[in-house]
Amino acid sequence: MNNTPFHLHNKTIFITGASSGIGRQIALSTAEMGGKLIITGRDKNKLEETLKLLKGGGHIAFIADLNNLEQIDDLIKKLPKLDGVVMNAGISEAYPIKYLTSQKIQETFNVNYNAVVLLMAGITRQKKLIKGASIVFTSSISSSFPPKGGAMYSGSKAAIENFSKVLALEQFQQKIRSNCITPSMVKTNLYEDLEKTVTKESMDTHIKQYPLGVGFPEDVANCAVFLLSDASRWITGTSIIVDGGFSLNGY
Amino acid sequence: MISLEKFIAHIENELDDLEPGTLTANVNYRDLESWSSMYALIIIAFVDSEFDVTLTGDDLRNCNTITDLHQLVKNRS
Repeated sequence: MNNTPFHLHNKTIFITGASSGIGRQIALSTAEMGGKLIITGRDKNKLEETLKLLKGGGHIAFIADLNNLEQIDDLIKKLPKLDGVVMNAGISEAYPIKYLTSQKIQETFNVNYNAVVLLMAGITRQKKLIKGASIVFTSSISSSFPPKGGAMYSGSKAAIENFSKVLALEQFQQKIRSNCITPSMVKTNLYEDLEKTVTKESMDTHIKQYPLGVGFPEDVANCAVFLLSDASRWITGTSIIVDGGFSLNGY
Repeated sequence: MISLEKFIAHIENELDDLEPGTLTANVNYRDLESWSSMYALIIIAFVDSEFDVTLTGDDLRNCNTITDLHQLVKNRS
């Protein structure tokens, strides 16, 4: 591999939400770059499909529902020593504030925030991270530029961004790094679901605000590969915006 | 499922800034002066929380009147 730090050889990487969308692509790209993966997701068939698509050998898939505390604990125990973690699992539902209930808050925060906190608590307490490990969180541009109906989703992502900074502060002595990727809309199944929910027209109108057009899962995955690799060893406690120029808010 | 009259009254109450009496059974709701993407979000969330029925933006687009919408919710509940 010459002397370039832009690779993931000899790195063991744990990825949540790997059954589809951005998470699946992060799994494919990190395997492509030499990483050995432990992937997790709720959907057995889809997760196994991801596993089959991974380049190289020695990858493992664990089915786990991050709404379930026992399954989270069980998952943490099964993890080997890790060089990298990608916390990608998340759900999104547009819901105006006046209809929010305790149940609605829990539905989003259980997966998007609480499970991430519990996983990182267990992973750090049980010393699953090697020195110099890199943690990557999939946030969202909506953490800074929220849409109507996004109180829960964008709130949970804003919470993750600060959580990542605290993790960076608490772990830097081990040279463990923690960063977020902040993407805008990329073409995944979730995007197609959203087209059905809010209509294709309104999604098209939104995408018109992206100078570089709509993104693709690999655009986010490439950033994850960089953050997991030693090429980013001096980057911690920050977020990288991957949004096709959306937040330029230009005209 | 509640009657069409009650359904209309509920929706009219949920949509802020709507003059009482503007939402009638056969008006195309997209023609309402104050129609916005927020109204669509409100109708979807209201129907989900009150009737446990999932509507999509496409459903709203395919319906024209509150009568169509009432029928759709009735069929799915």
